[in-house]
Amino acid sequence: MSHSGAGIGGQQHPFAYIVSEPIKIDIWSDIACPWCYIGKRHLESGIAALGADAPEVEIEYHSFELAPDTPVDFHGSEVDFLAKHKGLPAAQVHQMLERVTGVAAAAGLDYDFDALQHTKTLKAHELLHFAKEQGQQLELTERLMRAYFTEGRHVGRIDDLVELAAEVGLDADAARAALESGRFAADVQADIAQAGAYGINGVPFFVFEGKYGVSGAQPAEVFAQVLTQVAGERDEAAA
Amino acid sequence: MTDEAVMTTDAAAPSPFTMVAGDPAAMVCEGDVCYVPEAPAE
Repeated sequence: MSHSGAGIGGQQHPFAYIVSEPIKIDIWSDIACPWCYIGKRHLESGIAALGADAPEVEIEYHSFELAPDTPVDFHGSEVDFLAKHKGLPAAQVHQMLERVTGVAAAAGLDYDFDALQHTKTLKAHELLHFAKEQGQQLELTERLMRAYFTEGRHVGRIDDLVELAAEVGLDADAARAALESGRFAADVQADIAQAGAYGINGVPFFVFEGKYGVSGAQPAEVFAQVLTQVAGERDEAAA
Repeated sequence: MTDEAVMTTDAAAPSPFTMVAGDPAAMVCEGDVCYVPEAPAE
């Protein structure tokens, strides 16, 4: 939470500034993870629910490639992919997707699994690191997830990723160069290795202030409560 | 805060974090397994 320098009675005092760092939230996620997008919305809702009491936060996304063996181009539906990988009957997969779609809708997300193009997300993660370097990681994270889950856009091919990068204002040529060179490949692997070192097996996984771990697409209230707790601890430490 | 939402779990995972219990039904993706419903279909 940032405090202004307004003093008692509205007078400004040159030494009244209390500058605090935003609360850091590190999030491990994958673009192709439906619960990560839902969890993202829940986190945002949790922050919004705090209203004027919401502390300032700094969010950083980290790469977690859920299925490295996924092909860049998979010719078939999401149902085909899941049934093949999990060996489940198509009817059961349909049922599962309907449930996810319902939970997403409750979070304000219009998932379209019929249009979704299953793909490998490695290059998308590299692009997210490029975007982080450019200060636009949050914008690109939202754009990629929306493209994948609600618009049926392909997020595995360089050409498509460059288009999406440009849509959030990133330099298309620089984005392409970053992807073609693999300049951020090591950063992606470092994130994945860090997740392993932390014992993170599934995503989304949220870390608040490097202290509190939150696993899964938790309800908004949980995120709000954790933020309140962290902010309260800061206030106590500063008292 | 003193409420239950931030009570910690006793999970044996080698996590350096204080894990927030939250909603145990909150879903995660592990590998390709993202869609398993709370009550698996028979």
